[in-house]
Amino acid sequence: MGMAIKNLFKYLNTNCSIATLVVFRIAFGALMFFSTCRFILKGWVHSMYILPKMHFPYYGFEWVKALPPTGMYIVFSLLLISSLGILFGAFYRISSILFFLLFTYVELIDKTNYLNHYYFVSLVSFMLIFIPAAKSFSLDNKIFKRSETIEIPKFYIFILQFQLFLVYFFAGIAKINYDWLMEAQPLKIWLPAFSHYAVIGDFMEKEWVAYLFCWFGCSYDLVIGFLLFNKRTVNIAYVFVLVFHLATALFFNIGMFPYVMITITIIFFKEDLHLKIVNYLKKLFVYKVVSGSTFTINQFSKGLTIVFSLYFIIQITLPFRYLLYNGKLFWTEQGYRFSWRVMLVEKAGTAFFYVEDKETKQITEVDNKEYLTYMQEKMMATQPDMMVDYAKFLKQEFIEKGYSDPSIRAQSFVTLNGSGSQEFIDPTVDLSAESNCFLKNKEWVRSY
Amino acid sequence: MFKLNQIIRKSTAIKLGMLLVASTVLLGASCKKTKTPDDTPGDPSKVFDKQGLLVNMADNIIIPSYADFKTALENLKLSFTNFKTSGSLTDFQTVKEKLHLAYLSYQRVSLFGFGPGEDASVRFNFNVFPANVTLINSNISSGSYDLKTISNIATKGFPALDYLFYGLNQAEADQMQLFLTDAKRSKYVNDLLNEMTTILNSVIDTWNSTYRSTFINSLGTDVGSSIGFLINQINYELDYLKNAKIGIPLGLKSGGKILPENCEAYYSGQSLTYAIETLGIIENMYLGKSYSGTNGKGFDDYLDHLGIQYTDGTLYNAIKNQFMSAQAKLSVLANPLSYQIETNSQAVTTAYQELIKLLVLLKTDLPSSLGVVITYQDGDGD
Repeated sequence: MGMAIKNLFKYLNTNCSIATLVVFRIAFGALMFFSTCRFILKGWVHSMYILPKMHFPYYGFEWVKALPPTGMYIVFSLLLISSLGILFGAFYRISSILFFLLFTYVELIDKTNYLNHYYFVSLVSFMLIFIPAAKSFSLDNKIFKRSETIEIPKFYIFILQFQLFLVYFFAGIAKINYDWLMEAQPLKIWLPAFSHYAVIGDFMEKEWVAYLFCWFGCSYDLVIGFLLFNKRTVNIAYVFVLVFHLATALFFNIGMFPYVMITITIIFFKEDLHLKIVNYLKKLFVYKVVSGSTFTINQFSKGLTIVFSLYFIIQITLPFRYLLYNGKLFWTEQGYRFSWRVMLVEKAGTAFFYVEDKETKQITEVDNKEYLTYMQEKMMATQPDMMVDYAKFLKQEFIEKGYSDPSIRAQSFVTLNGSGSQEFIDPTVDLSAESNCFLKNKEWVRSY
Repeated sequence: MFKLNQIIRKSTAIKLGMLLVASTVLLGASCKKTKTPDDTPGDPSKVFDKQGLLVNMADNIIIPSYADFKTALENLKLSFTNFKTSGSLTDFQTVKEKLHLAYLSYQRVSLFGFGPGEDASVRFNFNVFPANVTLINSNISSGSYDLKTISNIATKGFPALDYLFYGLNQAEADQMQLFLTDAKRSKYVNDLLNEMTTILNSVIDTWNSTYRSTFINSLGTDVGSSIGFLINQINYELDYLKNAKIGIPLGLKSGGKILPENCEAYYSGQSLTYAIETLGIIENMYLGKSYSGTNGKGFDDYLDHLGIQYTDGTLYNAIKNQFMSAQAKLSVLANPLSYQIETNSQAVTTAYQELIKLLVLLKTDLPSSLGVVITYQDGDGD
């Protein structure tokens, strides 16, 4: 064990070309610029952050609030600027800090919009803050007339690779469950929706196809990280990355995720390729090293070792926190987020909320559409912690309407992976008095 | 680098083989083309004929319902012209009868609030109730109004006509006289009818010229696809029936304080008939049952084909039975609904609860079983 760690450190301290980081920086900056543009152009700043009357906060981050419309658009403009800063290596440290803070801020406003790939972007941009990706082929080198760095310890590349490895591996582990492997759910539900496709359409309703996809998906996720790490298999592995993500992009409504993964996975390629790319770009943009002198970063600091050791300990344990809770994870969703559980459930629900004035005993049924956007209502109806948030919001609303100490109850029906809708939570519980404390089991969620 | 290298190398050949097979399948998936409708004529061994379902919906339900509504609206206009010429009580009664038939006919197109129906805002232009009586009267007396403005949304369409022909608290003969003596009142009715005709004609024209082909060729189940639209509208309409037509008058949204005057068609007292008609069209859309009563390809056939289960039985049967229960509980009530709410609220509540159960099945189980996506936002499958 001690030996292995020693070897690992030795490996991490070996120097290699900085080109890999430069290519990564450019790819990430360009992707983020493009995806932020797409987000704004689709009107999502408005529909996700300006339109809603309330937001669903993350536990412990209730203090994070949306800004007024102008403020939100300024935040998104700054995200565009800082992603360009990362792309061109201009004021890189400030750009990456700004991007990380703003992106994470936006994500923390409302958990309705949680996506694994947004979480991934937050993590990568956090790592970029510590990575010397702009010490070569960058505007910073020009602006500050810095020497061009040519080599860096492998550490900086490894932490990015390892993060990517974890995403795949945990996504694979999450697929080792009865529904996925034995029932081929939810693909058994999703695939027939494509029965109108030419040639393959006829297979989409076949059960064995759903099983094939499930088992392939699971093996792919579990194995691909190892194949990418291995220099002999990295090329063929990348072909699979391409095929797999392009296929998921075609079948499912998952936005930028496939393209982010396809682009970011190039970090696994051998450094020759990255060197070629950077040299080509340097020629293309007539980029000349000013001083002529070059520079090598020889090692990474103890501080960084500690920061990233802690970081990865958290990354490795967080997906398992669901073990702390009772009940079926897919049903209660306690410990579901931040654990790379992707494409695992077809879940839908309908929730009716009732407000009771404790003094007059009058009961009013809430029209959820009056307070929530379509997406918020859809997400809330299947996620118990969001019901608690909503109940607390409703309590305040109705107190303002003159209700005396209202209690908020909900009747909710949920279907999971084709189970047929069943009662989801105890309709007698005053949800506004419940807590989302992560140490507390949600006893009022019916057992599956 | 790590010792894993050796382990990986041994099993790589097997795994790569497996990956290759599976990825070929996935790669094949990228050839996205649509099939011709005749590929799968009702053969259960073949995939479900989604286009057949859409063709049935368009040609046997949607387009005929619009055509029928157009006829009903024209009849209403004609009867009003006749009445103004003759000034007879019989002709006045004919107008009221034609108004009822047109209102009933409207109930059968209200659900098609997507595509051209959405572009023309049929629902908001034709049936926002309760009518704003004060504003209607001030419009008539001033003679100056722009029906297109948002502020006039509750002064037009059927709720306004319902008020003008039934809601003046007068003997029928006196009520009739108002139209004959007050030219502004007749003009207002004409303006309302003309606006409705213009809007309806534009919707029908679009369906006939371009939209039918768009509709029947959008075979996906994502948001913005025809199946996505239909499922969404079925749920919107059911929610509207449950809330606007029953729940709100029943006082369920107002702490138990009943609001009978918020019933649809409050003045003519036809609310229940219209509510039952709405439930009927929802069921017909679900079943793919045509205007003339022929049962074609519908969502029930789709569920049946895919063999979707629900608790101990099939979802197909669960939904069918729930439609029956809801119809039965609504049918024991009588017009006017406003009176039932005041005197027999328990029975209305029972009907309401059956609608809730139906809503859960249609809003939760139906789209979830068919893989219908109902939002434009990116997802990650969770």
